[in-house]
Amino acid sequence: MTVSSYAERRGRNLEGADVSSVPEARPRRKRVTGSARIVSAVTILAVLAVWAVSARLQLVSPVFLPSPAAVWSKFIAVARDGFVDATLLQHIAASLGRVFAALIAAVLVGVPVGLAIGISTVGRGIFDPLLEFLRPIPPLAYLPLVIIWFGIGEPSKILVIAIAMLAPVALSTASGVRSVSQERINAARSLGATRGQVVRHVIVPSALPSILTGLRIALGAGWSTLVAAELVAATRGLGFMIQSAAQFLVTDVVVMGILVIAAIAFVLEFAIRRIERVLVPWAGRE
Amino acid sequence: MPRLVLDKVSVRYDGQARPAVERASISVASSDFVVLVGRSGCGKTSLLNVAAGLVTPASGDVTVDGARITAPGADRAVVFQNDALFPWLTARENVAFALRLRGIRPSERERRADALLALVKLEGSGDRRIWELSGGMRQRVGLARALAAEPQFLLLDEPLGALDALTRERMQTTLLDIWKVSRVGVLMVTHGIEEALVLGTRIVVLAPAPGRVVRTFEPGFSRRYLAGERLRDIKADPAFAAARGDLTDAIFEGEAA
Repeated sequence: MTVSSYAERRGRNLEGADVSSVPEARPRRKRVTGSARIVSAVTILAVLAVWAVSARLQLVSPVFLPSPAAVWSKFIAVARDGFVDATLLQHIAASLGRVFAALIAAVLVGVPVGLAIGISTVGRGIFDPLLEFLRPIPPLAYLPLVIIWFGIGEPSKILVIAIAMLAPVALSTASGVRSVSQERINAARSLGATRGQVVRHVIVPSALPSILTGLRIALGAGWSTLVAAELVAATRGLGFMIQSAAQFLVTDVVVMGILVIAAIAFVLEFAIRRIERVLVPWAGRE
Repeated sequence: MPRLVLDKVSVRYDGQARPAVERASISVASSDFVVLVGRSGCGKTSLLNVAAGLVTPASGDVTVDGARITAPGADRAVVFQNDALFPWLTARENVAFALRLRGIRPSERERRADALLALVKLEGSGDRRIWELSGGMRQRVGLARALAAEPQFLLLDEPLGALDALTRERMQTTLLDIWKVSRVGVLMVTHGIEEALVLGTRIVVLAPAPGRVVRTFEPGFSRRYLAGERLRDIKADPAFAAARGDLTDAIFEGEAA
């Protein structure tokens, strides 16, 4: 065997190693998501087509099912002239403001709680049952209590959303903490890190990908409690807009509102995934 | 001269009838390169973790210059088999980690980290991300990170175990070069018989069930390398082959065939 052939073989082995490690998953996954995306697009177009045709043939009364064109023109109209004393943008801003205020509150409480659950057994003993109690309760169930306690103002609405967000943030943080590799902690300790330094310099950054996943789930959960939060004494917001439209059977606004809520949820999800890629580029590459 | 001493150390893990290590004594001076070898289950890594302060022995004493060890500390920096680097930091920031813990200012720790990266032959890679580095480069970063703590002793837990043969050989010379200039005492765990002979000034052979010290060798091959002889020539020396035979026999002595 010559030296060069050996080197060649080695080179090939190295390539093989590279392929088998991380980048391999990428092109293959891209192809799968590529074809999945086409299927998704076709599905959406098919649903739109069925909707348009049944509205066109008036299979259902327009009061119950307005046509896509009607919904679109309503979208333009509401965006320009507003609905119940606020433009679409103002409704969106009101809802987004509440959801983000709630997100900040949920992070300020949820991340430390999650750290406590993940790091100390006492913390776990205290917070685990509380979260498990809170998690399965639907927002509509605790809404009345929140209103009795905190009134019908803005804080109640934010609180309703924040409660829905708390469990995902805290539990994701805790699971991130628990999955920190012991070897990494040992390495830091053997380099002279104190307990506090281990938490700050190793556990928190290690858990960051998990915390961001928690934020993503929390935003989804919070956004879907929006309508409940805006049930009582709201004057603006997408949830409020849909409810007032429903009271007057303005179905095209209801449908338009639902689509706007879905579209914004999609944009939020996309934005957080972007943020994840910037903030924790190492996630999944270790 | 600083001396790390494990005196009649026994290690017991919860739920195991037999101790993992029984009354093992090892002493590492700062001029030593001590290598622990033995079949799997002989307690090599347990002993290393005891020396690091990561595992508390059931009985026996661990001391550095007579002072008892009860916790991990920067005087005994560990390099792990799976580098255990921090992926959110660059290579340079990983190396500077111990300096950051001590509150040394950024410009100074950058300077020192770059010097250490040069020592492990990674100059110019400071800004690279950990996941962009090969296995061998990652272990070099891990080594530099441990050295940044300015330890009196380096504890190496099979640091070359996951590397391919050629990379491993290059890392062995790097290890010896660093040991020579840094004057730290080294305690290393390995599976490689040749590796033990090439690196160790003293080789401690452990036998399993329960883990205990059975023999000690003092090969002079690493000193010959440091005296200027080429590693390849040393390995070709008949004395090396003889030593390898002796060491292999000692490791597998008493094993049921």
